[in-house]
Amino acid sequence: MARTKLYTGIYVALFVIATLQVGVEQIGLLESSYMLALALITVFSFVKAVVVAGYFQHLVWEPRSVTYVLVLGFVGFLALTVAASYSIL
Amino acid sequence: MIPDSTAASVLQSGLVPQGTRVQVFSEIYWVFLGLGTLVGAVVIGYMLYNAYKYSYQGGVDEEDRPKLGEVPTGGGKGKKLFLSLGLSAIIVISLIAWTYGTLLFVEGQTGEQGVDVEVEGYQFGWNFNYLDDGEYTGVNTTNTLRVPVDTQVNLYVTSADVFHNFGIPELRVKTDAIPGETTETWFEASSTGNYTAHCYELCGQGHSYMDAEIIVMEEEEYQDWYDSQNASANNESAASVAAAGV
Amino acid sequence: MTDDNQPRTDGGTATALPGDSHDDDHLPPRWSLKRWLVTTNHKDVGLLYLATAMFFLVFGGVLALLIRAQMWSPRAPGTGVLSAMAYNQAVSLHGLIMVFWFISPFATGFANYIVPLQIGAEDLAFPRLNALSYWLYLASGILVFASFFQGASYAGGWTLYAPLNIPAFMPSIGATTTVFGIVVFCASVTVGGVNFITTIHRMRAPGLTMRSLPLFTWSWLLTVWMMLLAFAALLAAVMILLSDRMLGTTYFAATTAGGSVLWTHLFWFFGHPEVYIVFFPALGAMAEIFQTFSGNRIVGRKWFIVSMVLVALQSFIVWMHHMFLTSINLEVKTLFMATTIGISLPFDLMVFALIYTLIKGRIRWDTPMLYAFGALVLFIVGGITGVFLGAVVLDYEFRGTYWVVAHFHYVMVSGVTGLIAGLFYWFPKMTGKTYDEFLGKLSFAVYFTGFNLLYFPLFLAWGTPRRVFAYRPEYVGWHRLASVGAVILGIAFLLIIYNLAKSIVAGDDAAANPWPYSTTAEWAVASPPPIENFPGKPSYASGNLEFLDDGATGAAAADGGTAATDGGHAALESGHGDDHHVDHASLWPAAIGLFTVVTAIGLSGLQVGSYPEGLEGLFYQGTSVLGVLGLLGSITAMGYENFTAHEGGLGEAWPFEGVENTKLGMWVFLASDVVLFGGFIGAAIFLRIAYGWEAWHPIPHNPIPGLVNTYLLLTSSFTVILALVAAQKRSRKGVVASLTLTFLLGLGFLANKAIEWVVLFSEGTGLDASVRASTYYLTTGLHMGHVIAGLLITAYLIWRAWNGAYTDGNDETLEYFGLYWHFVDIVWLFLFPLFYIV
Ligand code: HEM
Ligand SMILES: [Cu+2]
Repeated sequence: MARTKLYTGIYVALFVIATLQVGVEQIGLLESSYMLALALITVFSFVKAVVVAGYFQHLVWEPRSVTYVLVLGFVGFLALTVAASYSIL
Repeated sequence: MIPDSTAASVLQSGLVPQGTRVQVFSEIYWVFLGLGTLVGAVVIGYMLYNAYKYSYQGGVDEEDRPKLGEVPTGGGKGKKLFLSLGLSAIIVISLIAWTYGTLLFVEGQTGEQGVDVEVEGYQFGWNFNYLDDGEYTGVNTTNTLRVPVDTQVNLYVTSADVFHNFGIPELRVKTDAIPGETTETWFEASSTGNYTAHCYELCGQGHSYMDAEIIVMEEEEYQDWYDSQNASANNESAASVAAAGV
Repeated sequence: MTDDNQPRTDGGTATALPGDSHDDDHLPPRWSLKRWLVTTNHKDVGLLYLATAMFFLVFGGVLALLIRAQMWSPRAPGTGVLSAMAYNQAVSLHGLIMVFWFISPFATGFANYIVPLQIGAEDLAFPRLNALSYWLYLASGILVFASFFQGASYAGGWTLYAPLNIPAFMPSIGATTTVFGIVVFCASVTVGGVNFITTIHRMRAPGLTMRSLPLFTWSWLLTVWMMLLAFAALLAAVMILLSDRMLGTTYFAATTAGGSVLWTHLFWFFGHPEVYIVFFPALGAMAEIFQTFSGNRIVGRKWFIVSMVLVALQSFIVWMHHMFLTSINLEVKTLFMATTIGISLPFDLMVFALIYTLIKGRIRWDTPMLYAFGALVLFIVGGITGVFLGAVVLDYEFRGTYWVVAHFHYVMVSGVTGLIAGLFYWFPKMTGKTYDEFLGKLSFAVYFTGFNLLYFPLFLAWGTPRRVFAYRPEYVGWHRLASVGAVILGIAFLLIIYNLAKSIVAGDDAAANPWPYSTTAEWAVASPPPIENFPGKPSYASGNLEFLDDGATGAAAADGGTAATDGGHAALESGHGDDHHVDHASLWPAAIGLFTVVTAIGLSGLQVGSYPEGLEGLFYQGTSVLGVLGLLGSITAMGYENFTAHEGGLGEAWPFEGVENTKLGMWVFLASDVVLFGGFIGAAIFLRIAYGWEAWHPIPHNPIPGLVNTYLLLTSSFTVILALVAAQKRSRKGVVASLTLTFLLGLGFLANKAIEWVVLFSEGTGLDASVRASTYYLTTGLHMGHVIAGLLITAYLIWRAWNGAYTDGNDETLEYFGLYWHFVDIVWLFLFPLFYIV
């Protein structure tokens, strides 16, 4: 399968991003600039998640509707978390 | 989030019910009840009218009726549909928008003036701690709340154990008593007398009897009572300070 | 396809189907108990649902009569028919049973029976999972029943408010069992939801586009979508609650900042969609009945559908209107007041559409139409009184009173009324018998009178707080009237049951299509329909329903040889390809249900981390072990069983063309899992905000072990991909090696985690050490549970691969397992930073 190469590349990239994510903490960014560090760490997580879902789970090759099903679940989570958290701010 | 100036101008327009909570509730409630009954009667009446008018009576029929196995379709009367939707939307939205002004008034009122009391629910009763500028005064009662007439009473309600809800139905005041949280609300009684507060959230075995007596007193009478309580509270606390200071 | 050897199509009116006689369905006759244990046929399962739901109606109804008896007078302490705790249990279990174990399953019964017929499918996509959802439903019901015999059942109201729901305030084991019952019910609903979503999207007859789907099917489709997401949120809530009760985490403890409010969010995020979940099927049934009995197609069909879709979406953003008196801020109240009003508008449109459908009709007032019409009247009253509650200043006074009780009974029991309309409407189809029309009309008269006598006075007695039995003397009259109404409504239900029971035994045979203007496909087949439903391949392609003879065997089910197996990740290797038979029987769903009961009863004995002393504890421990072993065994057996079901995608499959049934099922399941994890993660975030975001530090001292676990999981994801690649290259060795590697990596993950936990425990950081510890252990623990489940499946896959599976061109199972495993990986990618770094 020609895709083996692609998968390997992605795997390596994931490995690197995971390391970078912890790197953000190790260099002390959380202490110096919490919000920036939090944002970076979140973005790293999303990037990894999207790559795994897109390629390992083949979502890029499926009809878009399958992705929307998951997005629906995710939006439900967001609605709950954001509105509930906002309600006590 | 809600600009104070808009809120203020809406509140001053005179359209919005203001006053004690008993007054605002009854004003809004009766308008809702009147319109609600009217709308209900019209809609249900119209249903019954059509139900009667179009009941099957045999005879020739030149309409195109549904047939078994056809692909489900349907349509028509779109204008009528949206007209009725529009009408109902106007009624509902304007009603709610109208009450929203009162909500802002009610919410803006807490703590502005009057007597402050912390209410603490527990299984199965109520403690009332009188506050002064947010501080405990040492005056506290259990299951009886004494308040002066024609004075705003601000309640800061919490719970010592489970979720309760403190409400005095005649005075149209109610709020949740949540452990670890404080909710704020207020009321004002316009006549002296005794009222009963209930717990409005199922809280265990004694829930049905978790009541408190609310005694609304003349201003002076209340002051006398409060001062005597305050004096004895101060004596006690002085005594305990002395005891602690040994 | 019928099987000539077996009198399955009993009832006399079944049409003989074109000659085929496969010895394929192995289904015992209807009079045999065994049939009902093993059947996977959607019609049988539908009947099981209906019968069980009716039982719970009676159960819940008896509790309601007890409540009304207690309410006959304001009771002094210790007087009346019930003790205070008995009353609290009656109130709580009445609500729980009616909402969970009666209404929704009742609707599910109709959906099971009717929806496949309406869309032209021979069965659901995953027949065994359908049976499984029934048996899990029954299991959950048995748990609730059993809870009464374990000290006391749940006594804190159907809304299960915290912190009354934790052992500190409600120590009885029975309360835990009730919560367990809800967990199992959620599982049942999820399994069912996945099944129906796959079926309705992918197995429609040619020509039956989404736009032309019958309204009952539409309403059910939206119901299951709402269920899928809402019940996943509830599952998160009740799992956390169970953990607080059984393991001793402290999410809802009175001392946890935000704990009580967290519960209200989690519960109502589910709770509001639930009210539409309850009502939608009834609405769909009413729409069908209005059309059939008025002889008109529905007015504004397109807008009706649009409105339903809007309501389904909006239902997830109104939940805080149940929380106006909590400490939420004014901005949020404003927002949710607006969304609440917003959601009432599409309902207005639907009500008007139904009313205008009557115009120029030839309305026949048969029993179904009487009930449907009555339901609409009641719904209008309930809806108008709901608008009162939407006005926040009024809600401040109505909250917690009988106004709310009256409002939601008008709307919810209007839904019940609509379903009873459906019961009479479809009764001839389901039983092949006609009901007694006079008794039916009589029952409606009694029902409508009883209903209004029962619920209307509750508006007038609205000053009464909910769930009390000591109320002000001035309300005695209204409460007595309500109690009388309750008895009358009870009699109406008995009349209905008597009518239908009598008709099953002695009614006249029903025609295939007893109603003049019905249109949908269920009326085009015999009453009751034969096992394979249709005499040929149903199609709307020509604009009208036709049954096409596809030539091969002349049988409906010989659908081009794309039968596929259902269920699990494990069963796919069998039966793909050219055999034409489909199965209708499996014992394993019932076995799983049974062992679920055993497991749950056993685990219910676990309280705050320990079992009771002595013999009792031994009983609970033994039962737990037995149950878990039985569960593992029966799940494996079900996975290994050869079972062939219909594959979809032959007709309309929008929007999932080209996504096989099992794959779609897996994705839909994962979407619900997103919400489940979302509930856990949302809870952790909420509690952290309540605690003070930056004052809260991760429990593990050091993110490096977590990073190692991230590496392990990422690598194991990669090896799963390699397994699939190897399978495509038909390399058995490659598959076995990659899977074994995956398994080892997973084990490594668990071992690393175990070390971390042991160290933390030894430092005294237990589950109950702090709310930080609770969220950390439980959320990563849920993830660990997913890893363990994945490893069990991996072990099974290795064994199968060793024996040569997956390398014969049927590697879907590996792919679908991969979807799951990568998902577990993705979840970790979020848990890791949340609990180890930030
Ligand atoms: C016009 C549409 C509706 C509006 C504006 C509305 C509004 C509300 C509001 C604001 C509450 C909270 C009351 C409180 O506890 O203070 C409520 C409670 C409730 N509503 Fe509705 N509602 C509507 C329709 C429905 C429908 C269609 C159903 C179900 C079929 C329903 C079922 C319920 C239930 C079960 C509760 C009470 C839950 C509980 O506290 O135990 N409502 N409604
Ligand atoms: Cu709601």
